[in-house]
Amino acid sequence: MSHAGPAEPPPLLTWEPIDTTGVLASVADRAAGANVLFTGTTRGVTDGLATRRLVYEAHEPLARSLLVRLRDEAAGRFGLVACAVTHRLGSVGVGEVSVAVAASAPHRREAFAAAEWLMERIKREVPIWKAEEGRDGVLDWLHPEPVPPHGAPPP
Amino acid sequence: MVDPSPEPPSTPPVGRLRIALFAGMAAAADRRSIDIPWDGGTAAMLRERLARELPAVAALAARSAVAGGDAYLSDDAFIAPGAEVAVIPPVSGG
Repeated sequence: MSHAGPAEPPPLLTWEPIDTTGVLASVADRAAGANVLFTGTTRGVTDGLATRRLVYEAHEPLARSLLVRLRDEAAGRFGLVACAVTHRLGSVGVGEVSVAVAASAPHRREAFAAAEWLMERIKREVPIWKAEEGRDGVLDWLHPEPVPPHGAPPP
Repeated sequence: MVDPSPEPPSTPPVGRLRIALFAGMAAAADRRSIDIPWDGGTAAMLRERLARELPAVAALAARSAVAGGDAYLSDDAFIAPGAEVAVIPPVSGG
């Protein structure tokens, strides 16, 4: 249904800078009247401490599998026209995009809600980790509470 | 030698298991994987075994999930020798 030619869906995981315009374009459709793009970026300051860059890594097969499942679940649950997600791996400098989620729907409420739901689930379940690089160049891997599910993720 | 079969072997093997490590666990252990003797057992047992084999990751292992292939495993899931497994510490993507 796309009138301007279908845009390629973004890669689920990428080591390259994320093309946020492309992510948004990939959910464009004549059936959609609302298009939401969320981007997560590297903060320069967290809790008063300067961050130079973040480094991300993933269990790639499991991360890809879960990203597809969560993206498709979001599309069904919120009645989206289209949904896209991409997460960056490797070194991500301050201000650069580490994750992008796009959702299109007939109306904006569903699109906003879907993007928020999807980000929440990604942050809770998908096996991707970030490390903050300190001034000494040492990576501090973040493993926050609450714990991930032992066994199956929550429904 | 990797046997991806989820079926328990019919004869007791002298098996091993390669466990993939990530992020803070890999950093604490200074390695990306560890091979341990493994004749089969549950995901919960695997977590405990890893903590004994690698005390540096014990605290993280206690609050980690276990993955087989491209799915999370429940605590009582059976893991055969040679299966492809990973221990998944608390995630921090986004």
